[in-house]
Amino acid sequence: MVDLLHRHTAAGTGLGVSLPRVEDDRLLRGEGRFVDDLHPFQALHMAVLRCPFPRAQVVSIDISAALELTGVEQILVGSQVAERSEPISVLRPVPGAPDLPFFALATDVAHFEGQPVVSVVAQSRAIAEDALDLIDVEFDPLPHVSDVVSAMEPDAPLLHPNELATNRLVTNNQERGNPDGELAASAVVASDRFFVNRVTALPMEGRAVVAEWRQGARELIVQHSTQTPHLVRKQLAEALRLDEGSIRVLTDDVGGGFGMKLGIYPEDVLACLHALELGRPVKWVEDRTEHFRASTHARESVHDASIGATADGRFTAMTNAYATDLGALNSPFGSAQLTSITFGGPYNVEHIRTERLVTVTSKTPIGAYRGYGQPESNFVREVLIDRIARQLGRDPLDLRLQNLLRPEDLPWTNHTGAILDSGDYAATLRMATERVGYDALRAAGRGPRADGRLTGVGLSCFIERTGYPSARFLANRGSQFGAHEGVTLRANRSGGIDLITGVSSFGQSSETTFAQLLSEVTGIDAGLVRVHTGDTGASPVNTGGFASRTTIAAAGAIELAGLEFVGKALRIAAWLLEIDDPTSLAVRGTDIGPRDSDGPTVPLADVFSTAILGQGIPPSEAPGLEATAYYEPQAAAYAFGSAAAVVAVDPETGDFTIERFVMVHDCGVPVNPMLVEGQVLGALAQGFGAALMEELRYDPDTGQLLNGSLLDYFAPTAADLPHVELLHTEVPSPVTPLGVRGVGEIGTIPPGAAIVNAVCDALSDPQIELSRLPVTPEAVWRALADAAAKGGRA
Amino acid sequence: MSDKVHVTLTVNGRSVDADVEPRVHLADFLRHDLGLTGTHVGCEQGACGNCTVISDGVALKSCLTLAVQADGSEIETVESLATGDQLSPLQQAFKDAHALQCGYCTPGFLMTITALERRGGALSREELRGELAGVICRCTGYETIIEAAEDHLAEVAARG
Repeated sequence: MVDLLHRHTAAGTGLGVSLPRVEDDRLLRGEGRFVDDLHPFQALHMAVLRCPFPRAQVVSIDISAALELTGVEQILVGSQVAERSEPISVLRPVPGAPDLPFFALATDVAHFEGQPVVSVVAQSRAIAEDALDLIDVEFDPLPHVSDVVSAMEPDAPLLHPNELATNRLVTNNQERGNPDGELAASAVVASDRFFVNRVTALPMEGRAVVAEWRQGARELIVQHSTQTPHLVRKQLAEALRLDEGSIRVLTDDVGGGFGMKLGIYPEDVLACLHALELGRPVKWVEDRTEHFRASTHARESVHDASIGATADGRFTAMTNAYATDLGALNSPFGSAQLTSITFGGPYNVEHIRTERLVTVTSKTPIGAYRGYGQPESNFVREVLIDRIARQLGRDPLDLRLQNLLRPEDLPWTNHTGAILDSGDYAATLRMATERVGYDALRAAGRGPRADGRLTGVGLSCFIERTGYPSARFLANRGSQFGAHEGVTLRANRSGGIDLITGVSSFGQSSETTFAQLLSEVTGIDAGLVRVHTGDTGASPVNTGGFASRTTIAAAGAIELAGLEFVGKALRIAAWLLEIDDPTSLAVRGTDIGPRDSDGPTVPLADVFSTAILGQGIPPSEAPGLEATAYYEPQAAAYAFGSAAAVVAVDPETGDFTIERFVMVHDCGVPVNPMLVEGQVLGALAQGFGAALMEELRYDPDTGQLLNGSLLDYFAPTAADLPHVELLHTEVPSPVTPLGVRGVGEIGTIPPGAAIVNAVCDALSDPQIELSRLPVTPEAVWRALADAAAKGGRA
Repeated sequence: MSDKVHVTLTVNGRSVDADVEPRVHLADFLRHDLGLTGTHVGCEQGACGNCTVISDGVALKSCLTLAVQADGSEIETVESLATGDQLSPLQQAFKDAHALQCGYCTPGFLMTITALERRGGALSREELRGELAGVICRCTGYETIIEAAEDHLAEVAARG
């Protein structure tokens, strides 16, 4: 833990202030600098020929006609790339799984629709695309697998016969107590198979890279749209056989990431290989058609889960044997790894087992996406809890309140070893249900309204792991990155502080929040802090912006560096002011002066200039005023909350509307409440999208993606989303600097279960069970029809 | 492919003469020929609206228009909104409401709402949601964008 005693709040720009964002002006004026906005002199442009089949042998490639096209500079095929580079490394391998190495271009077999097969560099993107049309690739389609259930069939085509004996990559089991025995002895058990849809993160800016090599300088400058500049540098060095010192990754504005822009993709290696050989800048900007096929997907999984309870409603055991899809090949982060950790949720359950099975299929690789397994586990558990309530004739609210962990039960170590640190879970549920008017809604009766619709209310309680519990934890998982953040603070002669971080700006507002954290620690006005992001040549080596970890880890680093920085500044100021005790001084806005009284002050600009000049500083001090610190959290903080949805369902058509959605969440101490709300609302929109509309659908026969464009993959628009009522509690985490919890992902978690539970509550027919996302009007209509066929609802 | 066509148009109040390939769409022309990179390309299929500009007073998805089709027209982009160091009232409303995060879609919303403002007439919240449904934002969940648009349009209406 970082010492919290030396905090100053004089500037009024520290924790808890809804400061406007420093990122906004440039973005509002159209002055953001995204990768495609860069126009390096004499840049060349890359286009990529991709496999059109879900799985195919690359029999032959004829590039002769394309090479003759005026303006084409270079064409690479798989065999050349295999000679000149290494397979792409994995940052977060699936524990216990064999490698499935692959190069930036398919060599003999292409494993998914969209996998790069040939790359062309030309004078313009249009010419490069013209050249693709002139390339003749003979593909021999191979048997494919298009979902996780068929991947596990005994007669399924073997997708990676050289590395795997089946299409199961690995199984990870975690268990505590005697879940099978407890389930067998339970008065009631709810069990089902749940299907979670394959979706995609869909940042509005796709991936993009510009690579430029100067032979004599031995420097490859890579401008990249990424959440992790330092990890991109690491992976590029490995793939390109360069030392890291020869690579500088620069990341300016990033148009959204949501977990999808972690590490490198094949096109990054290709752009660099071309640049290395051509000696000219090479630019590649993903178009949306490519994005749907070649940027990672997420979430697809099938869960066989059970929850048992005693006759009086106490949960006895939970089990979930689930299969997640890796897709055809590894991506840097692979399939979601937080389902097991969060399956027990905020409940007091001693007997629990999770079995995670990872399959390979013939689809686009799965990667990290906001939530990373937590929306999945929440959907399964919270829907089953409502089924237990129906079996017992209990109210779903009472049943949850009976089983939620109480504040005095925390810290609570669950069956995976994860430690839920602190919180009042029931308080959030009471707040949500009071706000929504739960009792009145439940008492209103089940009859149709005047408009013929049935109303229902549904609940969802959730936790979110935020941050990583130390590098030791990551080492046990084989992860190729640390849990820390590093930051450098450097005084400038104008009296400001340059804060240099490897974190990039992709909408998460780190520039603003880092300045606020430094203001909190040092007392300097946040407006004097200039945050420099995303340059691996300038910033201390860090981990990056993902896993709701950045603010937690960076808060520690900023606090440590800030205390060191301000300590020296006060010593120099005391010397200038001829005051004996530097600790009697404090930063006050733009000056340093007496902490508790009036008296002579000295401007920060004078103190900083004196330090930088090195003239007139105390003899015991070295010149300069700069501090670098690293901070590694030793525990994860669990954010938590509850949601309540109110729906109105047309019992004839299955059409339904979400009339209200209340969410109560706790992210500990909020650095900037306005930005916290923004993060939660944004993640909720993605949660609604995945729960209601979004699904990447594949034709099971051809294995082709059926809706790979924004015209038929339905990301929510302003007309599609319900109004959200957002409330907060604020329980400081005892395990993080300043008591913060992460906040970036929590909104993705509760919508699916809350909506499904509300629809089932409205229909109040025990035969109607919704076990598949997304829950669409068609899905509800089919459930109604199935129930009618079984002799239920007429 | 290289047979270029001469176009003359007005962009942000300045006259532009250029020779463009017939296949270049207006968004790419603005971005890569004129250096007006504030207009962003999100799908090139007219679905995401991130590339929305104003053409002769009307909001237009610039990825669905060829540059040659813009010959003779008056185009306004996000770069026209601020005056010197001052954000426009709409830009300020976005900042105040935290109506942007990554900022990639933002120019599309700003130009769509600017066109709405010129069109005039009161809009209910539901109508406004419909008007803004042509631009996709993946960061904010739209609540704050709708709030900013509502506040701004109400202020414009109050000013008369």
